[in-house]
Amino acid sequence: MNDVQTRLRPESGELLRIDDLYTHFSTALGVVRAVDHVSFSLDRGERLGIVGESGCGKTILSRSIMGLLPRRNVLRGGSVTFGGAELTTMSLKERRRIWGAEMAMIFQDPMTSLNPVIRIGKQLAEPLRVHLGMTKSDARATVLKLLQDVGIPEPEKRLDQYAHELSGGMRQRVMIAMALACGPSVLFADEPTTALDVTVQAQILELIERQRSERNMATILVTHDLGVVAGHTDKIIVMYAGKIVEMASTTSLFGAMKMPYTEALFQSIPKLEQPAHTRLVTIGGRPPNLIHPPTGCRFSPRCPYATDKCTTEEPPLVEASPGHWFACHHPVGSDRWHEVSVRRREVA
Amino acid sequence: MTDITSESNVAPAASPTEAPTASPTEAPAKKFRRRGVFTMWLAVAWLVFLVFTAIGASWLPYVNHSCDQFAEETRDEKCITHIDTNPLLSERPPVWATFSDTTRPVVGDAAERAGFFGTDTNGFDIFSRTMFGARNSLLIGALSIVFGIAIGGTLGLVSGYVGRRVDRVIDSIMNIFLAFPALLLVIFIVGFFSDSGTNEAKSRSIVPIIFALVILSIPPIARLVRANTIVYAQREFVTAARSLGARTSRIITREILPNVFPAMVTFAITGMAILIVAEGALAYLGLSVSAPTPTWGAMIFGGQSKLETAWWISIMPSIVMFLTVLSINLLGDALTERFRIREAIG
Repeated sequence: MNDVQTRLRPESGELLRIDDLYTHFSTALGVVRAVDHVSFSLDRGERLGIVGESGCGKTILSRSIMGLLPRRNVLRGGSVTFGGAELTTMSLKERRRIWGAEMAMIFQDPMTSLNPVIRIGKQLAEPLRVHLGMTKSDARATVLKLLQDVGIPEPEKRLDQYAHELSGGMRQRVMIAMALACGPSVLFADEPTTALDVTVQAQILELIERQRSERNMATILVTHDLGVVAGHTDKIIVMYAGKIVEMASTTSLFGAMKMPYTEALFQSIPKLEQPAHTRLVTIGGRPPNLIHPPTGCRFSPRCPYATDKCTTEEPPLVEASPGHWFACHHPVGSDRWHEVSVRRREVA
Repeated sequence: MTDITSESNVAPAASPTEAPTASPTEAPAKKFRRRGVFTMWLAVAWLVFLVFTAIGASWLPYVNHSCDQFAEETRDEKCITHIDTNPLLSERPPVWATFSDTTRPVVGDAAERAGFFGTDTNGFDIFSRTMFGARNSLLIGALSIVFGIAIGGTLGLVSGYVGRRVDRVIDSIMNIFLAFPALLLVIFIVGFFSDSGTNEAKSRSIVPIIFALVILSIPPIARLVRANTIVYAQREFVTAARSLGARTSRIITREILPNVFPAMVTFAITGMAILIVAEGALAYLGLSVSAPTPTWGAMIFGGQSKLETAWWISIMPSIVMFLTVLSINLLGDALTERFRIREAIG
């Protein structure tokens, strides 16, 4: 492996700190609050999962952290500290030095994130030559090594192929190789397996996991699938309508989830022990309009436990146990929750 | 012909061993054929012929009409200029045009018909002049479009990718140029250049003509490239390149340009055809390259008053121009088909 890639990094400690980050888009219809005052931190080598339905701001959050959003009609604020440096006030030139070399991203759709007219080898060599100043032949050798690392058969042949000649899983592997090329210390994986079929999904997640542990790299896995997150993260953030509604270590979250939204997400995963033809549990309604979000708790219109308090007063993010935060007036296990659960069971 | 089609249909990635493995019991799979391959090759053949004669006109056995009439010592015997007009050969119809007679007196035992394309009023062979005209017409068309692509393409890429104020400025300027009547604009530019010289020796070179045609071709090219750039700039792979720290100039030249290039090239080819016609229009107004140097437009213009008695003076160069522009357009269509970028889908 390359020197720079195995460059010694402190084993632990805080790597990324997000403070009160918000990203709003001004549109013709009003201001869309895509990410609304989000704070959390990420340690070196930590595996973070961000979970939520489509359209609740997961992708925008990860792109806001990297600073990859369009400049036009965007209102943003808060701070992103990366290894002690403030990213939000950094010039584009400085940020470019960090992009790719320190932070990298895998995109949702490998079908469109590779340039259709550039050969795979050349596309992969690009970041190596930009950041590490490698010569053409050095870069080619490293690319070959990278392709082997991500488990692509016949890497020599792939170098001279175009994206359309590869399968979906193979393309996602190429994307991962590209993101890993310069040995970043944090990898954003934005729904890396959504566009792939289930058998390939497991391989890709396994690959990201292996590369993470080899490189002591932190990963931020953005997904709507609690099942994906369960086995591959240390910490989980549950987002709803642009806000964090629950944040906990993976074991704590699955052991004692507090937020009814998390519960609903969890219930909507089909489970193996259920008898055949069990009706799939869904969450009624749709994620709220982010231009005029509901008052009070944003989940209240869809929440079975909602009371008047929920629609008027926004619940603050409180700590249930060390490291386990949630924002709810009637969390799982409260009196209201018991009352409604019993009634629901009777109805069923 | 089958050779050409099969060769052109094999995708570059397909290994050559795959092709002949079909078992004899199976019905032979119907070969995929592109539409219009034959006409495309005809067009290519015509253009190749034309380009070779245009380049080699001085060495081929044509009468030279592009030489300098005043450079006495360098003139070879094939050099014929305006001082060598031959009234005895004036306005002879083409040799094959037996249905057409000359209105000029036939002296002695001279042939009534002369040359493959006939002769003009000065007694010059029209075929030779057409081939020398190809040199100028093609050169003007090609150079104009090359400069047009270089300038217009750059403007389009920059305004499409950078956007904001840069885009607004460039796009406004392009709009102004597009709003001008094209011919008026070209006349104005050419007129602006020829004012400097004295009127009697109107030795207009091809430079102002090319300049005018470049100006004419920039706005549509910039428009096309800008529109394509905007489409590709929003694509995920550009964000991916950005997320890996690529510089703006690198994204434009490495990520976007290769994607926009096919559209640019096919437009350039069609554009060249348009510019050749535009040069013809300019010559028709007497504003193209000055007299002894032949261009197709100038030749058509020269024969216009004789159309009733000596049709071949205008018609023959017109046919050549028509075939050339048609060939270029057919080639452009074929290239559009061929260049269609394979998206990484499926």
